[in-house]
Amino acid sequence: MKRSIGSNSNSGSSKKSKKNNNPSNQKTLGAAWGAASRPSSSFRSSPFSNFGSYMEVKNRKLQNQFENEAAGVSGSEKLIFQGVSIFVDGLTVPSHQELRSYMMRYGGRFENYFSRRSVTHIICSNLPDSKVKNLRAFSRGLPVVKPAWIVDSISANRLLGWVPYQLDQLNDTQPKLSAFFAPRRHSNPQVASPVSSSQPETGFSEAEEGSSVRAGESEEPRDHVADEMDGVYTEKTTPEMTAQTRIDNLQCSEVNAEILGNYDNEEKELNSELQSTTNLPSASDNKSSHGKSVATAAESSLRRHSTLEDPNFVENYFKNSRLHFIGTWRNRYRKRFHGSFNGLKWTDSGQNTDENAKKLTIIHIDLDSFFVSVVVRNRLELQDKPVAVCHSDNPKGTAEISSANYPARAYGVKAGMFVRHAKDLCPQLVIVPYNFEAYEEVADQFYDILHRHCRKVQAVSCDEAFLDVSDMRDVEPELLASTIRKEILDTTRCSASAGIGGTMLMARLATRVAKPAGQFHISAEKVEEFLDQLAVGTLPGVGSVLKEKLEKQNIQTCRQLRLISKDALQKDFGVKTGEMLWSYSRGLDLRSVTAVQESKSIGAEVNWGVRFRDQQDVQHFLQCLCKEVSLRLQGCEMMGRTFTLKIKKRKKDAGEPVKYMGCGDCDNFSRSITVPAATDDIEVLQRISKKLFGSFCLDVKEVRGVGLQVSKLEGADPSNKGSKTLTSWLNSAPASVQTEKDDNVFAAEVREIPEGKRRDTGGVSRLRECNSAEPSVQSGDTNSSLPPMCHLDMEVLENLPPELLSELDGTYGGKLYELIEKKRGKRKINSSSPHVSLDGIKGSSSASIKIHGSSTSGEKKHDKPHPSIARAPSERAIKMTDLMPLSLSQVDVSVLQELPEELRADVLGAFPTHRRQQSSSNAPMETCKKQDKEPTDINDAENDIGFSSSSLWFGNPPLWVENFQISGNCTLEKFSKIYYKVAQPRPMLSTVLQRAMSEVWSSGDASANDLEKTVHDVCEFLKEYIKIKVEGDIEEIYLCFRLLKRLAARSQLFHQVYEIVSPFIQALISEHYGGSLSMP
Amino acid sequence: MNMKKGDNPSGKVANTLVEFLEVAITMVVFLKGFYPSAAFERMRYMNVVVQRARHPELRDYIHFSASGLLPFIEKGLVERVAVIFFSNDNVPVERFIFKLTINPSSAASVEESQLEFRLRSFLVKLSASKSLVKPLPPNCRWEVTAYLRSLPEVGSSKEGELWIPTDTKQWMKPPVITPVKSLNSEPLCLQLYLEHPCLSETQPCQEAQ
Repeated sequence: MKRSIGSNSNSGSSKKSKKNNNPSNQKTLGAAWGAASRPSSSFRSSPFSNFGSYMEVKNRKLQNQFENEAAGVSGSEKLIFQGVSIFVDGLTVPSHQELRSYMMRYGGRFENYFSRRSVTHIICSNLPDSKVKNLRAFSRGLPVVKPAWIVDSISANRLLGWVPYQLDQLNDTQPKLSAFFAPRRHSNPQVASPVSSSQPETGFSEAEEGSSVRAGESEEPRDHVADEMDGVYTEKTTPEMTAQTRIDNLQCSEVNAEILGNYDNEEKELNSELQSTTNLPSASDNKSSHGKSVATAAESSLRRHSTLEDPNFVENYFKNSRLHFIGTWRNRYRKRFHGSFNGLKWTDSGQNTDENAKKLTIIHIDLDSFFVSVVVRNRLELQDKPVAVCHSDNPKGTAEISSANYPARAYGVKAGMFVRHAKDLCPQLVIVPYNFEAYEEVADQFYDILHRHCRKVQAVSCDEAFLDVSDMRDVEPELLASTIRKEILDTTRCSASAGIGGTMLMARLATRVAKPAGQFHISAEKVEEFLDQLAVGTLPGVGSVLKEKLEKQNIQTCRQLRLISKDALQKDFGVKTGEMLWSYSRGLDLRSVTAVQESKSIGAEVNWGVRFRDQQDVQHFLQCLCKEVSLRLQGCEMMGRTFTLKIKKRKKDAGEPVKYMGCGDCDNFSRSITVPAATDDIEVLQRISKKLFGSFCLDVKEVRGVGLQVSKLEGADPSNKGSKTLTSWLNSAPASVQTEKDDNVFAAEVREIPEGKRRDTGGVSRLRECNSAEPSVQSGDTNSSLPPMCHLDMEVLENLPPELLSELDGTYGGKLYELIEKKRGKRKINSSSPHVSLDGIKGSSSASIKIHGSSTSGEKKHDKPHPSIARAPSERAIKMTDLMPLSLSQVDVSVLQELPEELRADVLGAFPTHRRQQSSSNAPMETCKKQDKEPTDINDAENDIGFSSSSLWFGNPPLWVENFQISGNCTLEKFSKIYYKVAQPRPMLSTVLQRAMSEVWSSGDASANDLEKTVHDVCEFLKEYIKIKVEGDIEEIYLCFRLLKRLAARSQLFHQVYEIVSPFIQALISEHYGGSLSMP
Repeated sequence: MNMKKGDNPSGKVANTLVEFLEVAITMVVFLKGFYPSAAFERMRYMNVVVQRARHPELRDYIHFSASGLLPFIEKGLVERVAVIFFSNDNVPVERFIFKLTINPSSAASVEESQLEFRLRSFLVKLSASKSLVKPLPPNCRWEVTAYLRSLPEVGSSKEGELWIPTDTKQWMKPPVITPVKSLNSEPLCLQLYLEHPCLSETQPCQEAQ
C-alpha cells in the first residue's frame, strides 16, 4: 500500500486513476493501487467498459503525447536509445521528468505505467528491501538499472551496456555456475567467439563493430546463456527472436562479453537482459533470411546443453563436492587397505563383554582441521592466518564454509557458516578452495601410518580413525599415540590430535580436549571426574534438539544426567536414545573398533544448482546421475536391486533460496523399485530412474534436488557377470540411449503397444521398454532437426532397411556407417540374446518366429528420424490402437484363417502398410497349418522368445480358446466350445465353469499320458486367469474355486486340476490378502 | 447424503465412494443385526433399498467415519476400510473389509452414473449376504477401522486428527476370507470380503509392536 503511492506519484502522469485495479493487461509495479476497488461504482459514469479498456486508451493517449513531444524535440540528436523503453521507479537523480525528456530526445521510449511487454529497462536509484528480496516479482525479469546509465550513455553518445550500471543492491557478485566450471566452458569452441573472448570494455566496441552475421552467430552462445538461467525463464527460442534491431544484437553481444569476460555477473540480471532483448518489439523488420536456421541451430545447441547450463553438470558437481569426496573416500580406503585385513583376522571383533571392556585401550586420532591444513601446508604465508575452505571465495556470496582452521575458529568462524558472516567475524579470513588430490594423498598417508602401527583400525572418515591397542600390552598407549602423531606430522605436514580412553566414546572425548595438535589420556579412574563437568551437548549423538530437551529438564552436565534412571531416560527419549544417554553419561560405550563396514547403499544426490526447464533437462540430468551412480557401483564392485529416487521439490510458498542456487525449502519425496536381478548397468539405472521420476508426476521446474540410491547390494561377482548381463538385458531395455530421436513418434508408439504386453516378445518388449523410458510429455517441435549422433539407437539403425540407412547416412554426412561399425564390435556380447538370434533365424523356416522378427523390424521403421514421414504412419497407428493388436504376432493366425475372405482382407488392411506387406508375404496360412499339427510347439516357441504365459488370456477370444480348440483333446475342445457358447460377451471363467457343470464329463477314454497333458494345460490356463484376477476380483476367483471344487467331485480330470490349483490359489490369496479363501 | 462438490475428478470418485461407504457400513451393521431392526429406516440410495440408522449418534458415527476418510481417500492413502465386530473380550470375530484402490489418472474419464451402477451391485449383494455372516456373540461391539498405506503426516489435516491409531487385537493366524463382491473397473477397484478367524485360532493376542 505504501509503495503504491510512491510509484504512482513518480509515474509522472497527471491523470492518475487510483480507483481500481483490474490487472487485465496492466501490471503495475509495487502492486495494489486501489485495494478498495469498486469496479461497478467507478465505471458507472465512465464510457469505458472496464478498467482494462480505460488503461488501454490512457496508455495510447500518453504514447501519442510522448511521440508528439518527441517529434518536436529530437532531430539533431543521435537516436541512441532506439528500442529502449524505460520505466522509472521511485526517486531518481536526475528526476523522472528529466529522464523522460532524455528519452524523448534520443529516440527512446518512456512508460508511465509498467508493462512487461513495452518496458525494457527499469530505472531506479534505490529499492526497498522487499523488492530486492523479491526481485523477480518486481522487475518481471527486466534489468533494473541506475539512472547514471542513461546520463552516461548520452555523454558517450552511444548506448552503453547496462550491466555495469545495474543497481548495487542487486549486483551480487556471486560467481555463476559457468564460472564454477569455467575451464570447460572456455575450451568450448562454440562459445569462444571473438566477441566473447574479449574483456567487457573492449567487448563493447567490438560488439558494436560486429557485422550482422556475427550477431547471428552470437545468438547461439546467448541462447546457451539462456540455458543457464534457472527454470523460471522458460521462453523458447523462436525465429521471432532474431528479428531484432542491431542494437539488440549489440546488447546481446554485450551480454556474451559480460558473461564470459566477467563471471561476477549476477545471474538474474543476465536473465533480465536476455529477456529484454527477446521481448523487444520487433520494430525493425530485418528478419533476416537466415533467421530460421539460426533459430534451429540455437535450438539444437539448446538441446545439447539441455541440463541446466552445463552438459557435464553432474560430473562437475561431484568433482567439486566435499561431501562426495568424503563419501567416496571410504571405498577408496576399503580397496586400498582391505587386503591387509584378510591376513590378520581380528580375534575378538564384535563382542565386547564387560570384563574385557576394562582392559580396552582405544586411541582416537584425528587430523586437525583436515580440509584447511592440507591446503595450507604448502602455503607458508597462510600458516598462522585464519583460513577457511570453501568452494568459492566471494565476499558477498552465500557459499558455506566447510572447514576453518584454528586461528579462524578463534574468531568464531565455524563450518557451515556463510562466507559473508564469517568475514563479518573475521575480516582478514582467507578463503581457499578445495584440493581434492592433496586430500586423497594425505588421507592415504595417514592410514598408511595407522596401519603400520596398529592392526585394528576403524576408519571413521578420511581424517579420523579409532585404533584398538588393547592387545599391544608392551607399548604404552601414550607413547604410541605420540609416535603416530609425530610420524603423521613428518609425513603429511599436518598435525593430528589423539585421545586415549577405555572406550571409543572416551577416546573421542579425549581428542576434543587434546585438540589442536595434542593428545590426552582419560584413564579409567578419571572417567567419572571428566564426565562430571562435561556438558551434555558435547556427547556424540546429542544434537541441538536433544540438548534442548535435556535442558528443559534442567540437565546440563553428564553428572546431572547420571542421576536419572535408565528407565526414565528411555521413557522420555525413546528406548535407544535413552540407553545411549544412560551409558554415555557413564562413559560406557559398547561399540568396538571394527573394520569398515560394507556400505548398505550406494547413491548420489544433487541438491545444489538443480533447475530444470523441461523434461529433456530432466532426462539428461538423470542420465548423468545414473552414470555417476553406476560408476560408483562399479567402483565398489557392487550391484544393487533396489533403486530409490529422491526428489526435493520446492515448497509451494518457498521463494528463491538464500544460498545461491541452493535447494531452499523443499518437500522431499522418494520412491523405489526393486528388481529381481542386481545390476550396476547404467542403462538399467536410467530406465528405472526415468520410470521412477515419471511416477512422481512433478512439475520439473519445481525440482530442486534429485538423488538416486541403490540398495540391497550384492557383490558383483565377475563369474556370473555374463549371465547377469543377459538377464538384465532380457528384462530391461538397454536401448534407452535413444532419447532425442523423434519424440512424437515415440510417444505414439508407447500408446500403440497395449498395456500388459510388456514382456511379450523379446524384440517388441525391448522396443516398448525403451519407449516407455520416454515420458510422453514432450515439447512439440523437437523433430525439426536431426538428433545428435550419440543419441541414435544402434539397434534401430542396424535394423533399418539399407536404403533408409543410406539416406540417413547422407544426412549425417557419412558418419553413420562408421558409428555402426564401431558399435557393432562392442555389441558382440549381445549375440546370444534373443533379439539377435531372432534376426538370425529370420530367414529360417520357423514361421511363427518369422512373424515376430519381421514385425519387430516393421516397428522399427517408425523410428526413422525423418519426421514428416514417420509422423504419418504413427498417427494412423494411434487411431487404431484400441482396435488392432500391435502387430501380426499378436493376431492369432488360426482366427485369421477361419475368417471369411473379405473380413480377412479387412483385418489385414487395418494394419499399417508395411505391416500388411509383411503379413501377406509371410504367409500366415503356412503357420496355420503348422499350428494345426503341433499346437504346443508354438507355445514353446513363444516361451523361448519371452512370451509371458499371461497372454493366454489376452485378446478376444482369448488365446487359450484357440489353443484348446485345435488341441485335439476332447476336454479342451469342449472348453473352447463352451466359451463360444456362453462367455463371448463376458469373458469370465466362472461363466465357462458354470456351464461346464451341466456338461457330461467323460473320463477314462484318454490315455494316462494324454490326461496328464490335459491336466497340465487346464492348470496353466486356470493359473493365469487367477493371476490376472487376484488383484482386483477375488469374487470371481472364489466363484471359480467353488465351481472347480464341484467339478472335481465329478471328474477325475478336474479332481487332479483342483488338487494342483487349490494350493496355488490359496498361496496367491494369502500373498495378496493375508488370508486363505474359505471353503464351504 | 447430499453430494459434495468434488473439485477434481479423483475427488469426485472419492466423494462418491465415501458416500457409498457410509451406506455400506450401515448396511453391514444392519445385516449383522447388531441393533434391533427398528433402529433403521428404509431409504433409497442409488435406486436400491438401503437402511439408515435412526439414532442420530449412530448415524453420525457412521457418517463421520466415512466422511473423515475423504481426505485420505483422495490422497490414495486408504488401502482398506474394515468394519470389525468384537466379542466380549475385545477379540475380533468378524471383519468386513472394503479393499479399495483408486487410480487417479483415469478418474477423469469415469462417468458417475456408471460408477454408481457398479456400486449398486455391492449394495444389492450385501443385502442378500445374510447367510455369510456368523451370529454375533453376546455383549459385542463394533468399530470402523481404516488401514492406510502409509501414515499421514502429523497434523496434515484437521480431519486426520479425528482418527486415532488403533491397537486392535489381531488374529494369530491368517484369517479365512470369504469374498462378497468385487468391482474392478477404472478408476475404482473395490472389493468387499469377510474375514473370519481361522478355525484353529485359539488364543488371540495383542499384535506385536
